[in-house]
Amino acid sequence: MNDIGEFTLMVALVTSIYGTVAYVMAARGNRIDLYLSADKVPLITWGCVMISSIALWKAFFTNDFSLQYVYAYSNIELDYFYKFSSFWGGQKGSLLFWTLILTSYMIVVHFQNRSKNLIVVPYAMAVMLAITVFFLLLLNFSTNPFERIPLPPEDGRGLNPLLQNYWMVIHPPTLYLGYVGFTVPFAFAMAALISKNLDDAWIRLTRKWTVVSWFFLCMGNLFGASWAYVELGWGGYWAWDPVENAAFMPLIIATAYLHSVMIQEKKDMMKVWNMSLVLLTFVMTIFGTFITRSGLIQSVHTFDEATLGYYFLGLLFFIIVVCTALIISRLPLLKSKNELDSFLSREAGFLFNNLLLLGIAFATFWGTIFPIISEAVRGVKITVGPPFYNQVNVPIALALLALIGIGPIIAWRRATWSNLKKNFLKPMMFALVGAAVLFPIVPLSNRSEIYTYIAFVLCIFVLSSMLIEFYKGTMARYASSETVLGALGSLIWNNKRRYGGYTVHIGVVMIYAGIAGSSSYGIHTEKRLKIGETIEIRDYMLRYEKLAAIQATSVKTRIVAQLAVEKNGKRIWTARPEKEFYKGQNQPVSEVDVRSTLASDLYVILADFSEDESATIKVYHNPMVKWLWTGGWVIALGTMVSAWPDRLEQRRRLERLKLQKIVFSPSQE
Amino acid sequence: MKQKKIKFALGSVLIVGAIGYLIATGINSTSTYFFTVSELMDQKVSFHGTGLKVKGNVVAGSIERDSNDYLNVHFSIEEKNSNLNVVYQGVTPDMFQDGGEVVVEGALDKQGIFHANTLLTSCPSKYEAEKEAGGMHPGALPDYQPKLKPKLDLKKVDSLPKTTV
Repeated sequence: MNDIGEFTLMVALVTSIYGTVAYVMAARGNRIDLYLSADKVPLITWGCVMISSIALWKAFFTNDFSLQYVYAYSNIELDYFYKFSSFWGGQKGSLLFWTLILTSYMIVVHFQNRSKNLIVVPYAMAVMLAITVFFLLLLNFSTNPFERIPLPPEDGRGLNPLLQNYWMVIHPPTLYLGYVGFTVPFAFAMAALISKNLDDAWIRLTRKWTVVSWFFLCMGNLFGASWAYVELGWGGYWAWDPVENAAFMPLIIATAYLHSVMIQEKKDMMKVWNMSLVLLTFVMTIFGTFITRSGLIQSVHTFDEATLGYYFLGLLFFIIVVCTALIISRLPLLKSKNELDSFLSREAGFLFNNLLLLGIAFATFWGTIFPIISEAVRGVKITVGPPFYNQVNVPIALALLALIGIGPIIAWRRATWSNLKKNFLKPMMFALVGAAVLFPIVPLSNRSEIYTYIAFVLCIFVLSSMLIEFYKGTMARYASSETVLGALGSLIWNNKRRYGGYTVHIGVVMIYAGIAGSSSYGIHTEKRLKIGETIEIRDYMLRYEKLAAIQATSVKTRIVAQLAVEKNGKRIWTARPEKEFYKGQNQPVSEVDVRSTLASDLYVILADFSEDESATIKVYHNPMVKWLWTGGWVIALGTMVSAWPDRLEQRRRLERLKLQKIVFSPSQE
Repeated sequence: MKQKKIKFALGSVLIVGAIGYLIATGINSTSTYFFTVSELMDQKVSFHGTGLKVKGNVVAGSIERDSNDYLNVHFSIEEKNSNLNVVYQGVTPDMFQDGGEVVVEGALDKQGIFHANTLLTSCPSKYEAEKEAGGMHPGALPDYQPKLKPKLDLKKVDSLPKTTV
């Protein structure tokens, strides 16, 4: 099976090279025969990569330690669940996994669009195949997952215990689904440029792909944060580490892109801008991969083998040069017919939203690469840490939060005084009342707490403006419908994109609130305790009751501390933080225990213990962390609504086009 | 028409300028120097008092904990024959151990002792790489290190009794 896996990788490489060339030649020379032949390539490539992946999975499940990769990331005792996820636990497998997702996306695109657009689609397929070729080259010649060990060992080294967590099983695939997903809009954008079909067809063809990829990227980031929170045991969920930034930057730029394409769809503006954004999003996913695979930037978690990064750097430069050249050569075709009218308009809101998002992305980028730049320019490595990112990104993010509230309710083109009064009066009043109520309650002693206060007030503003939108729409339909719920349902069902988007915004507001609350009001304390002693935090008192050793499996020993948690003299919870010792791994793993409520999390760590049964316990009190995860689920719901197939959309678009012709062109004064 | 364009260009420049200003001041007020131990020793200027990040490996056997205050840790880190004594107050990460690579963040005092306020150890996948770099043959079985077994001699049980809350 290993030989088959290796062989199919080679076949996939050859066919995808052929496919790239054939698609391009078919489109250029208008040759149907070549087109029909190239059309078989996506399926063959996908099949080969699939067989190869199955071979690797089989090696994991059958404990075939003659493969170096299986030896390094699995052992006989490893749970099947984790054997499955060990596939992407290391460098080689994760590249194969990437290729598997990419080719899977490719055949979906292939079947979706085969008969739709015979000019743009072949080029898009060619671009996707070319990217597949890059990964297959790496897999065949640089990081072959089927590399053998001449004398197979009896047992493997096992998966790092820190990766043996269910979040770590879901987090990488989710992130990859998002990362790889942006290849599709990118490929279509390039195809539009190459074939000079520069209307909004490519945007419409890939809108769902963009939304879904954005969603996976967003979830991937949140899952990563969850993993860090429950597994790494430092009480936080985000540290602005280069690897986190690598996943964060594409998300932010994709968010900007997702918003600015709406302008192109509705107003036929910002064409160059959209092209640049989709290019930048894709480049950022490659840049992120480069950071994690090169070891160039000091990070707490980077991949091994420093050489691979430079292939990605090469790819990065190649893409940037080619795309910039393409965009510049097509500039005359990308001219917009319309232009912005007023600062007080939704268009302007979108523009500022884009600038702010790019500002956050750029600040993050600059902070991430600053050590390299300072070393090159001044000869000393200077790093910036979380204080930098917080100092820069928090004010920008707050301005952005205000825009989330303003954007959806301000009028297109030019807002009039009566429009402003009608839409903004109520949300503003809610915000002012909220500000007045919160003012005496929340502490305002330092900058972080003041920011949090502002964030809360803005959250109230945005939330009330969203809910009022839902309310108004529902009431308008309530007249013709029997129940309020029925009216709400039909409102959302008939405007999926709009109200799905609003729901996503509500989720984002919840995440904002969670970040604001947890980053300002969190406290922690640590103490060495003997049995019976107590540690206090806020209203809680934790009494250390006992310490036990549990032989969980033949390879795992758990040392568990038990603490009774009391609030106002009443026992409300039993905390059992533990340390796990794995055979063959020379480091224990701390398993924290968390009591999570919407108000606050109580987060207990067993930091250390000794022979006399005394233990060092660290306790965090983190307010509102659960809002983040809940916001994530709200985003998931909103994305599902907005990406749901919608037949009404097409008709609405045609009506809009008619309307545009009447109202907006010519837009002379 | 021209006026409008200028207006929007000005607005955008204003936003971009504000973001640029934030970044510039942010870098100035929060940046720290990053050295390996030997690089720090080679510096001509004294860095005591300024924020530093130093990378090195924990000298085997150098980790000492205060017997009265368990959270008070002394250790030294080395790199290319240079040594640095570090004092740290707090819970140490799981992977903090002899020979492990750490990054400490803090400041030097006048005696040349580094007072760390954060202590970072390397990550899971990097740690795998180090083990590989340590020259272990892929075919060799990893040693089971008995000294790392739980030191605690507790009565082993299958599970903890359920408590009613």
